[in-house]
Amino acid sequence: MSALTTKLPRRASGPAEKPGRRPGGSSIDRQRRKLLVPFVGPAFIFYTVLFIVPAFAAVWISLNDWAGSGPMTFVGFSNYIQVFQDPLFLKSFGNTLLLLFVVGAVVFALAFAMTLVLRDMAAKKIVRNVIFFPHLINALVFGVLAGFIFNPGGMVNTLLKPLGVSEPPAWLAQDNIFPLIMATMVMTTTGYFTTILMAGVDRIPPYFYEDCALAGATAFQRLRYVILPLTWDVFGTCAVLWTISSIKIFEIIWVFGGSSGAGIPPTQSWTVAVYTYVTAFSGLSTPAYGAATASAIISLALVSVLVVLLRRAMRRDAIEF
Amino acid sequence: MSTRFRFTKALAVLAGAALALTACGGGTTGADAKDSGTMTYWSMWKVGEPQQKVIAQAISDFEKQTGATVRVQWQGRSNTTKLVPALNTSNVPDLVDGSYAKLAPVLGNTGEALPLTDAYASAIDGKKVSDLIPGKYLAASNIKDSGGQPWMLPYSLSSDAIWFNAAKNPGLAAAPPTNWDDFMALLNKEKAAGQVPLAADGDIAGYNSAWFSNLMIHAEGPGSLYKIASDKSGAAWDSPAVLAAAQKVQAIAQGGYLINGYNASKWPAQQQAWANGGADLLLNGSWIPTETGTYAAKGFQYSSFPFPAVSGQPAMARADFVGWAVPKKAKDPALAQKLAAFLLNKKYQDDLGTQAKVLPIRADAQTSPEMSTVKTAIDNAKEIYQADDGITFPGYTTKVYWPIDDQLFLGKINATQFVAKMKAAQLAYWKGQG
Repeated sequence: MSALTTKLPRRASGPAEKPGRRPGGSSIDRQRRKLLVPFVGPAFIFYTVLFIVPAFAAVWISLNDWAGSGPMTFVGFSNYIQVFQDPLFLKSFGNTLLLLFVVGAVVFALAFAMTLVLRDMAAKKIVRNVIFFPHLINALVFGVLAGFIFNPGGMVNTLLKPLGVSEPPAWLAQDNIFPLIMATMVMTTTGYFTTILMAGVDRIPPYFYEDCALAGATAFQRLRYVILPLTWDVFGTCAVLWTISSIKIFEIIWVFGGSSGAGIPPTQSWTVAVYTYVTAFSGLSTPAYGAATASAIISLALVSVLVVLLRRAMRRDAIEF
Repeated sequence: MSTRFRFTKALAVLAGAALALTACGGGTTGADAKDSGTMTYWSMWKVGEPQQKVIAQAISDFEKQTGATVRVQWQGRSNTTKLVPALNTSNVPDLVDGSYAKLAPVLGNTGEALPLTDAYASAIDGKKVSDLIPGKYLAASNIKDSGGQPWMLPYSLSSDAIWFNAAKNPGLAAAPPTNWDDFMALLNKEKAAGQVPLAADGDIAGYNSAWFSNLMIHAEGPGSLYKIASDKSGAAWDSPAVLAAAQKVQAIAQGGYLINGYNASKWPAQQQAWANGGADLLLNGSWIPTETGTYAAKGFQYSSFPFPAVSGQPAMARADFVGWAVPKKAKDPALAQKLAAFLLNKKYQDDLGTQAKVLPIRADAQTSPEMSTVKTAIDNAKEIYQADDGITFPGYTTKVYWPIDDQLFLGKINATQFVAKMKAAQLAYWKGQG
């Protein structure tokens, strides 16, 4: 530590210095600050090169007409205008919001309900693993399974036949695919958020519950006055996680409707992510990178605004216990 | 040890790691760049596919004959999608292949493809390559760049037909319906006899649109649908010929000819059902015998007849090119063109026909028995057209034509509604394109 100790007295001779305290906090603080550059620097450089620069490049591309290679023509905001005037984009945008809010609401309602049930349940670890399991499965599997289960000659219709259903619903009709995808999303993500919420609930010391029992609180009151306030920060993090991931939902839609490789999903089930992909990479028409990045920037803006709003809405003083 | 020394050391380690990581990213080019006899090929085929085997054999022979090294990446159909970002870097393949529909948007239309003048001028089996490819194909395909030179060298074709099992329907093989009325009469006869006449995987928009596109092109000639799609006012959709074609599609969709549930099914369920006798006819591509071969009923004999003709129009057939293109940024374009032309040797063309069971580009190449009816149809055709009439406007097919055509073919709207929707959507599309 020779370098540090010899240098310190010279630096520590400011007039505003309070007696007894060295400038800039303790020596640990100063060491920390010194380590900031070598440790954060490389990560910051990588982050800048891999994320921030491409993000700015995307903004630039979205202001141009570009087929992905060859000449670029600056067109100002006309890609954004074009995208917003495209009824298909608005439909895709609507679907994204449906996933975010409707699926989100259902997922969290179910996750909370399960958390409450599971807390007092025997063998809760096994149950927790079982409900988490769908989250581990690749979306591709659900896409392929959908065919086995819901095709006209598939499992569901075969099971319904003996029950006297001769005209079963057209499960995989273009208009029904999106509701099926929403149901699948609920199934796959509920377990994931239940697991996170349960970790938060498990932290709550048992004497709070004993207190509740003594005071004669109902299950709802226990949720309202104990569980919710004490898991609020966990819930807030889950909400942000869901917001970010729901806006990026792509592969499940791609494999669910578009069949496995032979086509693209019906427009009724598109989300902004799918719209962006088809615009740039459909492979069947000249790529429109400008319009595609415009649509991607719009969804980035949507995520940012929602996350900020969510953080504000969820802000509470942390309760220490 | 001094703290400063420790920091310096930490920095050095981190910098070294950063350098090592960067080196990983950029190290694929360079090493052999000086060797003029090395080229890279990004293939649309994956290892194990019959076409891949033929091309791999050709490449190995090519390497032996020329002493050149061909570095192949068997990427599969996404090779053209991967090509777009690569074109902005120095890591560009010398040779790619794909269907016209996939190569045109990324190379041909954007002026990024090299004119293949050398390949067309070279001699294979004692003949000029340009003479080996029948002129009527070249007339139909828009593979010429702004300088009037072709940028694509096809090595095979894909086509479509109405497929059936000749073992089950020997009469159909002997006397297929030749016009639309005969075709409808056949469907009605089968339906009346309690058979299911048609199968279609309704979730594949490109298969659904084959009905309207074929009907339109057969009625008004190749290029007619392209012309309608390029009309910025959308008024071209008001033509009576358009409505007539749409009504025919409506008759197919709403006439009860298709397997129940075709509109709520997932590919390949319907073609599987067809291959197992669930329906008699299937309008689909020339790849159907290979694609359904593994699960077809025992003794299934693939045969087909061409899409019904319209009287007064010359005999037509769909023929989509599958072939080579060389990016302008290719490092060894001469070698790439040499390899491209090499696959037009009779030996490999025969192999493509008999082993890969596709339609070779050379008219004199052998074909498999499954392909014989399609081959005859193409040989007899006076005019050639492409799938969906070769439309490649950005997003037009995926966002305008297919979604509305799906509604017509899946029985949700009628012909009049289809025309009105297409007209409105096309007007909005071209307005948005500016």
